[in-house]
Amino acid sequence: MAYDMTVWRRLLCALLTLCALAFGPAFAADPPPTDQALRQQVQPLNNAPVWREVRSGEAHFTTVKGVETGVLIQSGGQTWRALRNGPITLYGGIVFSAMLVLLAVFFKLRGQIRLSEPKTGRLIQRFTTLERMSHWTMAISFCVLMVSGLIMLFGKHVLLPVFGYSLFAVVAMVCKNIHNFVGPVFILSVLLFIVLFVKDNVWQAIDALWIRKAGGLLSGEHVPSHRFNFGEKTWFWLGVVFLSLTVGASGLVLNFPNFEQGRAVMQTANLVHLIGGLIVMTLSLAHIYIGTLGMEGALEGMQTGYVDETWAKEHHELWYDAARQNQGMEQTPGGLSAPAAVRT
Amino acid sequence: MARMKFICDAERCIECNGCVTACKNEHEVPWGVNRRRVVTINDGVPGERSMSVACMHCSDAPCMAVCPVDCFYRTDEGVVLHDKDLCIGCGYCFYACPFGAPQFPQAGAFGLRGKMDKCTFCAGGPEANSSEEEFRKYGRNRLAEGKLPLCAEVCSTKALLGGDADVLADIYRQRVLTRGKGAEIWGWSTAYGKPDAPAAAPAPSAGGKS
Ligand code: HEM
Ligand code: SF4
Ligand code: SF4
Repeated sequence: MAYDMTVWRRLLCALLTLCALAFGPAFAADPPPTDQALRQQVQPLNNAPVWREVRSGEAHFTTVKGVETGVLIQSGGQTWRALRNGPITLYGGIVFSAMLVLLAVFFKLRGQIRLSEPKTGRLIQRFTTLERMSHWTMAISFCVLMVSGLIMLFGKHVLLPVFGYSLFAVVAMVCKNIHNFVGPVFILSVLLFIVLFVKDNVWQAIDALWIRKAGGLLSGEHVPSHRFNFGEKTWFWLGVVFLSLTVGASGLVLNFPNFEQGRAVMQTANLVHLIGGLIVMTLSLAHIYIGTLGMEGALEGMQTGYVDETWAKEHHELWYDAARQNQGMEQTPGGLSAPAAVRT
Repeated sequence: MARMKFICDAERCIECNGCVTACKNEHEVPWGVNRRRVVTINDGVPGERSMSVACMHCSDAPCMAVCPVDCFYRTDEGVVLHDKDLCIGCGYCFYACPFGAPQFPQAGAFGLRGKMDKCTFCAGGPEANSSEEEFRKYGRNRLAEGKLPLCAEVCSTKALLGGDADVLADIYRQRVLTRGKGAEIWGWSTAYGKPDAPAAAPAPSAGGKS
């Protein structure tokens, strides 16, 4: 029946169009009859076409102004709710916690990766001040976003039972506002970081060796590399470039409701933000571990900008060799600085 | 205990916006917020149908499920209310609600929305019934005064009904019997799920299609 109706309607429309073409604009003004108008001629009080419109999620006429006020039923919210409250919260929580446990176990088994040779006491410059500033702005804002974001997602399940409603609402309010204002700072620092570091993160032939030896992570062997090894490069491209920019872009969409985005856009942005955020937070734990507890001398480089020659030789041999050859040359960002920079 | 629901009869609504106006006036609703609105399908052409929509006080309420501070609660009468003192204005309830009921006084940059506002079924909020404080945040508490929602009370065609679901269902069933057809009630299956509860369904093809 419904099929027949549409066929007839099409024919009718075609006929009307022909008439309009033949007789000019006088006829063209008539709008085609609605599905409902046709339906109620055949089946009075059958509102099926209207119920379809109600369900369509499309905007209809209303005098009330606002975001999607003409929409009667938006179904996407149900999907969003099911995904966010269901698998994303559950598996996101499991994976994040599993990484914490994994790192604790790894630390227990492997301990800190120490230098094999004694320190020389001679320092060479690894990072310029600008490089360190962009790294720490990014790192600190990231940690703030991580803690505040985690509280918005898991706080209801973890903190609320402990804090009670009033206190938790204050904490969540503070977190929400901090998150929303620190977010743009994070994005700017990421962009600056990418500009400063991209040239030393381009893949090189030597990376194949690192991949073959799995970075020497298990064997404890030192695999030579240029300024950054393949592991660091992967974190740069995956964690900083891809994930941080994805999370940042979706965060911007959520952060500026003044552009009156519809609900579908917000639901999608939240899902992208959540999934991307959970992955990058989980991976960042491994990066933070190796940069602090996991490896002797790594933190020093980013703190002071200088590393011991022994550390440079053991972890980034090719960079160290090139830097030695450049001795006496003008200081280049990230390269070995002139002998003046060699401190004892 | 009665289970409060709204019905809007699409055969009767004439899009007069009386309910919208009455609500705004009764509760002195914040600027930019309309707790109720009327939406018209096929506006101005044959087959036109209008429907008044506000919070439906869902059974398994999506807003309640996603709120990060868990500020919603359900009264004994099935009315879904929230605590503005706890609300952080994150907008999640607005993303989740199928009816677009939760609204915000602002839509500021950096997610500064203010406290969420929505239809309370004229049942106020967590503050003491009919207190100054309650009125300022949530509007009048008519249920506490033994009255039903004003929007439905003023509806000139009785298209919009609000009250005990069993009573509403009986009235609607009578209408369906009289006109012989059109048992669907828009929004009911979305808000209250498939009609498995007894007496939630007014007629054979119960609960409606939307
Ligand atoms: C990589 C760093 C980031 C992480 C790990 C992160 C994580 C999170 C998490 C877990 C949530 C909670 C989502 C939920 O409960 O559904 C969230 C919400 C949110 N994030 Fe982020 N986020 C990051 C960066 C950003 C940035 C850069 C911005 C903005 C420019 C941003 C803006 C938002 C907004 C607007 C919300 C919604 C809640 C609200 O309105 O306060 N986030 N984020
Ligand atoms: S209609 Fe919207 S705001 Fe009202 S209870 Fe249902 S989900 Fe919540
Ligand atoms: S806007 Fe308020 S009521 Fe809505 S989900 Fe966020 S905190 Fe809860």
